Amino acid sequence: MELLLLGASFVVGLIIGLPVAVTLGVSSLLYILVAGLPLAVIPQKMYAGIDSFVLLSIPGFILAGNLMNHGGITVRIVRFANAIVGWLRGGLGLSNIAASMLFGGISGTAVADAAAIGGVMIPGMKKAGYPADFSAAVTAASATVGPIIPPSVPMIIVGALSGVSVGRMFVAGAVPGVFLGLAMMVTAYIIARRRQFPRQPWQGLRELIASFVGAFWAIFMTAIVIVGLLSGVMTPTETAVAASIYAFFVGTVVFRDLPIRRVIPILVESAVSSGAILILVGFANVFAWILVTEHIPNMIASYVLSVTDNRYVVLLLINVVLIFIGMFMETIAALIIMFVPLLTLAQGIGVEPIHFAVIVVLNLMIGLTTPPVGVCLFICANIARRPLQSVVVAILPFVATNIVVLLLVTYVPAISMWLPGLLYD
Amino acid sequence: MRNLVDLLVWICRFGTCAAFLGIIYAVVVQIMGRTAIFRYSPVFTEELTRFCLLWMVAFAAGLSLRSGDLINVDFVSSALPRRMSKMLRLVCAAIIVLLCAMLLEPAWLFMMIGRGQTSSAMGWRMDLFNMSIAVLLTTLMVFAMIQFASILREPKDSGPAESEVSESD
Repeated sequence: MELLLLGASFVVGLIIGLPVAVTLGVSSLLYILVAGLPLAVIPQKMYAGIDSFVLLSIPGFILAGNLMNHGGITVRIVRFANAIVGWLRGGLGLSNIAASMLFGGISGTAVADAAAIGGVMIPGMKKAGYPADFSAAVTAASATVGPIIPPSVPMIIVGALSGVSVGRMFVAGAVPGVFLGLAMMVTAYIIARRRQFPRQPWQGLRELIASFVGAFWAIFMTAIVIVGLLSGVMTPTETAVAASIYAFFVGTVVFRDLPIRRVIPILVESAVSSGAILILVGFANVFAWILVTEHIPNMIASYVLSVTDNRYVVLLLINVVLIFIGMFMETIAALIIMFVPLLTLAQGIGVEPIHFAVIVVLNLMIGLTTPPVGVCLFICANIARRPLQSVVVAILPFVATNIVVLLLVTYVPAISMWLPGLLYD
Repeated sequence: MRNLVDLLVWICRFGTCAAFLGIIYAVVVQIMGRTAIFRYSPVFTEELTRFCLLWMVAFAAGLSLRSGDLINVDFVSSALPRRMSKMLRLVCAAIIVLLCAMLLEPAWLFMMIGRGQTSSAMGWRMDLFNMSIAVLLTTLMVFAMIQFASILREPKDSGPAESEVSESD
């Protein structure tokens, strides 16, 4: 009865448009009231959820991304990406994806990536003669590479939930992230050839070098993050703050595009974005506690393993469930609710937690580009001023590419586990 | 009324900013303490960082509802006629107020539990840490009440105010 109420109130809350965090809180409250448990459990569990050392790095990474974005790095990244691949057929589409891969190394969230790159690339692509639907679709799809290439806010959440090393997860995401970006480039190139999209002339080695100098500062920030974590010199939180200070220095001293008076509003904006994530974590921690108390993770694992213990079938089932959930639920909430139950199941068939974390994040990124809750899709359709339906049609080839890469990452563990093995073991 | 809302927003922005600066300060001290120049790692930094994070979230809660950072799924409400959509948004704002109001007393009790305890490194009273949850619920409740009032004041034919548009819009 209590569990039915928990599930039903959660679904109703989402449907009527309650914020996801509040929906989790309301469902938990109803469960606790009906089960006759003390309400004090809720503030206690919220506190325990937010008071996590690993989560401390989220505000830092979000601030670093925002400072870099306001400091003029986006335009420089786009210019460099354009110099590398802009001369190919459909080159601006490829530049868009390359820019997302570079930007993914500083932002850690797909939404920030879609808004930043989309703001520059979508109007530029439309002006150059690309269809608006394709421009929006390629931007939304490529934004999902961001949280797979380190740093990654979803992976920090996974680290807080499961105790898996954030540094190792970041490294494990690097190869699948690059792989996904390249696969999307191939897709964009095929579409461009078929539809005869325009190409730009090769701008020469001088432009390539000049644009690299501008983008170097963004690439170096990714290096700070990776080296800081790999060397063990800094914790993820320290790395995030070091990246923020670096971004501040680049924006104010190197590029001089970031006025000092803008820093405090950016700081507040980043804190509010981080606060929203952490409130979600707080309420979701209560919800997740209820699921664990009711032995839901073990029930799911036992049930699925009683039907089949075939590793390939179970992984396929997990992927189908996650894609479905990702279509309807916000990424962080889905992670907090689903990761631990599904990790129990994945470990039951011998999947490494780090490999599983990459699979889950990849899965949930697909949900950001599919209706009805695809946030990146909404952002890019909005920038391109196109109806959502036409962008949905245009994004289908990229969603298919995402699914192919997801299956490869799922069934070939070496894609994600090779680099951590090389660097850590 | 408008002045009062502006004051609340200013207080929350100030609190959020101060807490975030506190995090940055503590982490920088932590990093510098490990360098060859300083060679002194104070023990308080981790605790101070966590304290600031809790308070940053507490002050940011209401602001995140106002800015639309606290995301929702609005494909149903946006598909409804304006009048129904407005009703649904009113119901949502009322539910947030009700949830926070119901949790305020338990949050107060949770705060009181910390009264007799002190943090291990800084020696600060734990009720100062625990109070952050009560403040989080209070700011969320107050901004939900403001949202409720502003939806009521909307002209009949208008949509949601810009500050209330969710990220999925």
